[in-house]
Amino acid sequence: MLFFGRMRDLTGVTEEALELPTGATLADAFARYAARFPQLDAFRSSLVASRNEEFASWDTPLTEDDTIAFLPPVSGG
Amino acid sequence: MSDKALANDLFALLQSPIDMAAIVREVRADQDGAIVTFDGFVRNESHGRPTLYLDYQAYEHMALSKMREIGMLAREKFAIHRIAIVHRLGRLQIGETSVFIAISAPHRNAAFDACRFAIDTLKRTVPIWKKEYFDDGAVWADGELPPAPPSTPKAAS
Repeated sequence: MLFFGRMRDLTGVTEEALELPTGATLADAFARYAARFPQLDAFRSSLVASRNEEFASWDTPLTEDDTIAFLPPVSGG
Repeated sequence: MSDKALANDLFALLQSPIDMAAIVREVRADQDGAIVTFDGFVRNESHGRPTLYLDYQAYEHMALSKMREIGMLAREKFAIHRIAIVHRLGRLQIGETSVFIAISAPHRNAAFDACRFAIDTLKRTVPIWKKEYFDDGAVWADGELPPAPPSTPKAAS
């Protein structure tokens, strides 16, 4: 689990491991963090999820050792 | 689209100033007739507020792979020769170059079109973020949400 930009500032987390039940999706992972950091809920619609360095839909199922992140709107350049 | 990037293509994230002249030399070859470059640098204001400096942060490994993807797509779409995309990270002062793109081609139109495509796509799809610092605080810049693939079973309309 990786955090960047505003998400890193809001959670104070850069990187950590996350245990989820079998069959859990990216949305489930987000819900886990939204329970821990309620201020994240307001940002869900302006985030895109990634799984193993590819953008992924929220219903993507996760498997062991996936690397996931909830990415804020990008502003490079 | 696996192996279309050539040896002289260059995709990099740097913590130090970008050497634009060196990058231009890197993409230049005798078979080319044109190089188009894009130099994006830090503006002294944002939405009318004077900016002090910027901090750039990246999901580095993914950002590099998205930059390479842009290179491959540009090569598929336009008759270009070499492409370099370099982005700087960390703290940048006003006027410092944050992103530099150089594209060579036998003819200018392809180089112009590919350069425009590369910077526009970078701004939409490469996971890099900038925080703008002002006299009275700092904010993460408004950005663009990269397009996510549609949901798998139901909501894929």
